[in-house]
Amino acid sequence: MNFLNIEDEMKYFQKMFLLRKEIENYLYEEGYLNIEPSIFEGYDEFTGINSRINRKSTVKLLDNNSEILILAPDITTGIVNKFLPRWEYGKKLKIFYYGKTYKHNGIGIKENREMGVEIIGEKNQNTDQYILSTAKQIISRYSNDFLLEIGNSKFLKGIMQSCSFNKEEYDNVMNLLYSKNRQDLKDYLSNLPFKNAMSTLLNILDLEGTFDEIKEQVEGLYLNELMQQGVEELSKIDNYMKNITDKVTYDLSMVSELSYYDGIIFRGYIKGSNKEIIKGGRYDSFTEQYGYKIPAIGFTVELDELIKVLDKEEQR
Amino acid sequence: MSLTIAIPKGRLGTQAIEMLKSAGVGESIDEKSRKLVFKDENRNLNFILLKNSDVITYVENGIADMGISGKDMIMENSADIYERYKMNIGRCKMSVAGIKGKRVFNDDTIIKVATKFPETAKKYFNGKGQKIKIIKLNGSIELAPILGLSDVIVDIVETGNTLKANGLEVFEDMYNISAMIISNKISYKFKRKEIKEIIELIRKEDTE
Repeated sequence: MNFLNIEDEMKYFQKMFLLRKEIENYLYEEGYLNIEPSIFEGYDEFTGINSRINRKSTVKLLDNNSEILILAPDITTGIVNKFLPRWEYGKKLKIFYYGKTYKHNGIGIKENREMGVEIIGEKNQNTDQYILSTAKQIISRYSNDFLLEIGNSKFLKGIMQSCSFNKEEYDNVMNLLYSKNRQDLKDYLSNLPFKNAMSTLLNILDLEGTFDEIKEQVEGLYLNELMQQGVEELSKIDNYMKNITDKVTYDLSMVSELSYYDGIIFRGYIKGSNKEIIKGGRYDSFTEQYGYKIPAIGFTVELDELIKVLDKEEQR
Repeated sequence: MSLTIAIPKGRLGTQAIEMLKSAGVGESIDEKSRKLVFKDENRNLNFILLKNSDVITYVENGIADMGISGKDMIMENSADIYERYKMNIGRCKMSVAGIKGKRVFNDDTIIKVATKFPETAKKYFNGKGQKIKIIKLNGSIELAPILGLSDVIVDIVETGNTLKANGLEVFEDMYNISAMIISNKISYKFKRKEIKEIIELIRKEDTE
């Protein structure tokens, strides 16, 4: 953020301070505990886990052993790396943090403020619902024109497993899904050996909207066990969400830049903003690299974007 | 809910506007006037006429909810947008061409490539393992190999007549290009029904 005069800059900082405090107070009262995230990550470690991340966009530096470090482009990765090596069985953490992420955006280094929430070590039906209700509480505090979008990465993972694509094919399909390009997806798949799950993959871009609409569309499509599981989990979520808000939409083709999600994924939008305000999901399998699978779910709130939206609404 | 649609000026836009009009949308659009914004009050639509290469910028930044743009522009900008429908208009190819009979392609040396599409060309040759040096031009690309500025060109080829008239030939086709209906990602979440309705209208007019 650049300001012409000091007064505007001070105003902005006070607003950011109050916004942060408001959300932090809410989370603390909800029983989340605060931690301070580290801003450094190992380059190889990070890109190894998050293979879809744009490597060029990471901000690199060297430590005194000439190891390459990066400024965190994502904070959850660091939190898992921090706690999991010392994890004790049966432990449960419910945490929040304020932190900054860094990326090259072509012009310079983009610094991004975010607030994050994680629940690690607990998983029952209520955990997913609880974290979604926390997300909803935060976003609905700042706008009535919000929308929560929910997907489940198990569905796509199930398809990809059955299709057994190689790395190149997998990346190409993911990119076509990322831009929701139906015709090119169809053309591309028609050149590959046919697998049952491809028939569902061809229709996946229709699997969006209300959950009832999706249920109708899914009817008759090929589903393996993992895909079935994904749909069932969403069905339970939908039953719960119906009680707390009608501003929910579902998308089974949701693709995330961070590849560690494993289960429910979700985003929160506010009308008039051109970026996600909230993004998150379940990432159980992310913890497997430490030798055991610890359930984990969380999300981040994009504070810079949220304050822009609030400013816009104020001016109106 | 109002919807803003970005339309490129030029041949692609003219064809698109014809389609919209025969679907009964955008009666008020008058390409010959100097106006750049038109409204369809009945359907609550705004149309903005833009330079071809700016459509993506307006859509990506959410000023326009959706728009019509060539696939060449989308690839070059690697824009973060949805590509919702590939149209039958604006069909052509992006190809590698050079002086007839002088195919330096796949040589061991670094070849010089003149093009309006540096990013797309880099990605393509990178995928083939061919080392290149990009020379960015803005027009009359065909001149570059003739005058010795580059070894080959990467450009849009429709009929191949311009190439032929200048003593060039296509060495290799890279990508099929056509017009795409694109949409802003967040607009699509909030206005999915409206956006899909417009796409459906155009799709019906687009069947050849």
